[in-house]
Amino acid sequence: MTEAALKVVDLHKSFGAHEVIKGVSLEAQKGDVIAILGASGSGKSTFLRCINLLETPNSGDVYLAGEKMQMTRNRHGDVIPADIAQVERMRARAAMVFQGFNLWSHMTVMENVLEGPLYVRKIPKAQAREQAMALLAKVGLSDRADYYPAHLSGGQQQRVAIARALAMDPDVMLFDEPTSALDPELVGEVLAVMRDLAAEGRTMLVVTHEMAFARDVSTKTVFLHQGEVCEAGPPEQLFANPQTDQFRAFLARMN
Amino acid sequence: MMEQFLAWFPLDISLIAANFDRFLYGVWLTLNLTFLSLVLGGLIAIPMAIARASRHRILNPIIWAYTYVFRGTPLLVQTYLIYYGVGQFEVIRQSWLWDPILSQAWWCALIAFTLNTAAYSTELLRGAIVDTPLGEVEAAIASGHSKWGRLRRIILPSAFRRAIPAYSNEVIFMLHGSVVASTITLQDILGVGRWLNGRYYLAYEGFITAAGLYFLIVLAITFAFRKAETRYLRHLTRRNT
Repeated sequence: MTEAALKVVDLHKSFGAHEVIKGVSLEAQKGDVIAILGASGSGKSTFLRCINLLETPNSGDVYLAGEKMQMTRNRHGDVIPADIAQVERMRARAAMVFQGFNLWSHMTVMENVLEGPLYVRKIPKAQAREQAMALLAKVGLSDRADYYPAHLSGGQQQRVAIARALAMDPDVMLFDEPTSALDPELVGEVLAVMRDLAAEGRTMLVVTHEMAFARDVSTKTVFLHQGEVCEAGPPEQLFANPQTDQFRAFLARMN
Repeated sequence: MMEQFLAWFPLDISLIAANFDRFLYGVWLTLNLTFLSLVLGGLIAIPMAIARASRHRILNPIIWAYTYVFRGTPLLVQTYLIYYGVGQFEVIRQSWLWDPILSQAWWCALIAFTLNTAAYSTELLRGAIVDTPLGEVEAAIASGHSKWGRLRRIILPSAFRRAIPAYSNEVIFMLHGSVVASTITLQDILGVGRWLNGRYYLAYEGFITAAGLYFLIVLAITFAFRKAETRYLRHLTRRNT
């Protein structure tokens, strides 16, 4: 049996006394596109951020291509990473695309895409450049390589962010509401790039409010409600036949 | 014609001309004190700003106290304390620090100026580091950068650029503050002006020349910073240039 590209087991996360994630498990095989839906406050973004340890989960395990993220406890009893070098290595293999793009504003588009390959993966410059040019072509921004992020539209910035994530040659891509900060007319160009990625077999976790994307592109849809998996399954089944009142109500609100 | 002009002109130009080499030496002294202290102070400020911004448990309060004291007291007082004060201690007069360094006015001025500008630069840079957009830091974390990698590759390059406009003020303040050197026997630009006044009882000749020279240096500094801003802050402008 092949290892799952990503496996999360019984993840819990609290902020103070407030438990945001109450034991969520999830498994993504290579090539899976998992759409994570949920109302705001359902914990879907927090869940995604726990996978690459932008938030430290209170308990639960994360496996990336079979490798377990090693955690331990400090003397106050808080969970912390056991081996920070391992965390950094695993983060590089789980590239993230943020709601607010988060491009490095003092770097050009090209420099943004080159940063990870050159200074994290440490691949040769010529090879990194060639790869970066190809990725910018893929997201349709070859002619913007020397622009600064502030001089691009939101949709263009997000496509650069996707190219930057792809440049890490990741095992899994984490999308945290990638189109939520975009003007409506710019959403399509970003979703089109994401569809292409899904079609070429990228493993993706997509926290989104785009119902059409979840329905048409995902191989599995997960609906989170108050920090728990409320419904999960193939999208055609989930959308055609919601099992719970919560998901029915959510779908009604989204349409 | 020329003689008529000189007789009419309220400043004794020939006196200024006769002492111009002194003024040139004054410019050299002012520039080397100002820029050496800026370079040394800047180098000290970088690690201190990082320690402050990262709220290092031990270093942060110590550095905070240091910058507070040096920003809270006049540069003139700091310079006097080092020039006049330190020599009061027998231990120091006997030590290796005394002969080539602390007994010399130039060294005392350099030390005082360096400590002073380091305090201001630390706080300035700390502010720029802390103001780094959180999302950009998170993107650096998520990319797998180590703590040192994100500091060196993302946070500092971004902070240095954003600090440029405020730092140009610090450079000009330091230039103006360097007149303190003239109070501890040094013949910097103002020192030469004071010497001229003391010797000939002609205040305007020395002081207006000094003011003009400072002004020219400020013009050059402003010009250099404007160049630096258009080059390094392009990414913050609205349009690609």
